[in-house]
Amino acid sequence: MNGPLFIRTLAAHRIRLLAAGSGMFAWGFVLPIIYATFGQDLKQLVEGNPLLSQFAQFGGGDVFSLHGSIALGFIHPFTLVLMGIFAVGFSTLAVAGERQRGTLEVILSRPISRHTFYFTLLVAGALFLAILLASHLIASVLSASLMGVLPELSLGNLPLLWLVGWLLFMCFLAIGFAASVSFDRLAPALGITLTIVLVSYLLEVVGSLWPDAAWLQEYSLFHYMAAKEVLDGGIRAGDVLLLGAVILAAVAYGWIVFPRRDLAAPS
Amino acid sequence: MSAIVTSELSKTYGGGRSGLTRQRATTAGVQALAGLTIEVREGEIFGFLGPNGAGKSTCIRILLGFLHPTGGSASVLGQPVVGDALEIRRRVGYLPSGISFYDTMTGEGLLDYLARLYGRGSPRRADLLERLELSSATLRRPVRDYSRGMRQKVGIIQALQHDPELAILDEPSEGLDPLMQHAFYDILDELRRDGRTIFFSSHVLSEVERVCDRVAIIRAGHLVALSDVEELLRRRRRRVEMRVDGPVPPLDGVPGVSSLEVRDGVLSCQLEGEVGPFLAAIVSARVIDLTIEPARLEEAFLEFYTADEPALQARPPSAEVPS
Repeated sequence: MNGPLFIRTLAAHRIRLLAAGSGMFAWGFVLPIIYATFGQDLKQLVEGNPLLSQFAQFGGGDVFSLHGSIALGFIHPFTLVLMGIFAVGFSTLAVAGERQRGTLEVILSRPISRHTFYFTLLVAGALFLAILLASHLIASVLSASLMGVLPELSLGNLPLLWLVGWLLFMCFLAIGFAASVSFDRLAPALGITLTIVLVSYLLEVVGSLWPDAAWLQEYSLFHYMAAKEVLDGGIRAGDVLLLGAVILAAVAYGWIVFPRRDLAAPS
Repeated sequence: MSAIVTSELSKTYGGGRSGLTRQRATTAGVQALAGLTIEVREGEIFGFLGPNGAGKSTCIRILLGFLHPTGGSASVLGQPVVGDALEIRRRVGYLPSGISFYDTMTGEGLLDYLARLYGRGSPRRADLLERLELSSATLRRPVRDYSRGMRQKVGIIQALQHDPELAILDEPSEGLDPLMQHAFYDILDELRRDGRTIFFSSHVLSEVERVCDRVAIIRAGHLVALSDVEELLRRRRRRVEMRVDGPVPPLDGVPGVSSLEVRDGVLSCQLEGEVGPFLAAIVSARVIDLTIEPARLEEAFLEFYTADEPALQARPPSAEVPS
């Protein structure tokens, strides 16, 4: 871990973090309001209509309960976009982007090992994700309190939800880093990471909306962040282990590959 | 002690350890460096010459640990070039060719940040800023507003501000105006006086001739010459042109004279080595005009690059200047 590099990374991304954090806060704030205001009406609307009922189960979330609405916030495309700024954008730019820009060799000509560089940026990325998810959950708690539905929320399970959400997006961050150390240019690293995220998301959404394709969900990383279930009854150890294993494998790949790579002159 | 030593240093892109790089697909099996053996002495300014693709940057990047050699060995400041080579980079300053910066940072912020990454002070910064005429007002502006020359000045300062024992400079005067080039040469002279070593890669032969003590010339990854600059120039052929009134003096057999040609009363030839025998041979002629062009490194460089490649490769890697 390199202090100046870490501080510089935080400073360089402060505006982006503020913007994404504000978005996550706003989104986390809105969902309990939607639940408290329209939840019961929407529930009556979809009841008796199998098609609408199925669509209301989008990604395991819904707006008919406080837990469901918070879970919906974790799987919604808006969240994916905001979290993707760091889980995908930051991670792929970390090495391949710096390589392409020509700044990597300026940094690595200093007495900083590639392991230190990799680890420092990984920690910074992990911190960004943690902050974004925390701002989202804090906003949901504030909003639920304002709307008078806080007693419906299992506050004790919120840290677990934060953890499982962080693990999910850490998977994508770690995959982004693994892709980033494997290429000299940003485009392939970004393309591969984005494809993995989008395919995983698609499998989860299709599986959740179409009962016959529910088996697809098992191949999606999003499936192992069962937000509503975590809020309802706690975390599944198997899910945590699987997400942890993916993170470990991707981080280990980058850890081994990056120092062995040749860093030719940027084109 | 030697500042840099390479022994049979080789690098082939596309094989083994570099298999994860993009070069695999585009330059599979290309030998960028072939058995390079050089020694850079402490306290000298060492010129490293060669055209694009000769292997200069490959060599520099191996010395800094960015590339892994596929053969041979290298050491910098007594430390072997292996793995991350942290101890080497702690003691070295590096200016890459066409250096890139974080454009949103100010010049001052950038220099502070890059100095902090060394974990030590910047004893030479103030002096370098003054000599290269970078004002405080300029340093407070974002780097994106800088001209190419100003960026290059910042690049030079970041490489030298921490007073490294060895500076590896790749095309350092690129983009500098003539006044700043001279200021830069003065900085190099001062570093040499202070016992620092400069490894200087450049295309500008006149500046290599001006500042370097010794030069190595590489071609297609092979060392084709390694010599003192003075020795290299002394042994170069100079072009001579002489206009005479009357008979042309007989110059056949005069030591050092070759390619003799007489046309319309103008004698032209090439002269190598001592001028004395040539002057003695023309002393009786009625010379109207005489021009002996000074030996230039450019001519030596071009000579090496117009020679047949197999002949050059047949030489031993540490070959001195061919006569």
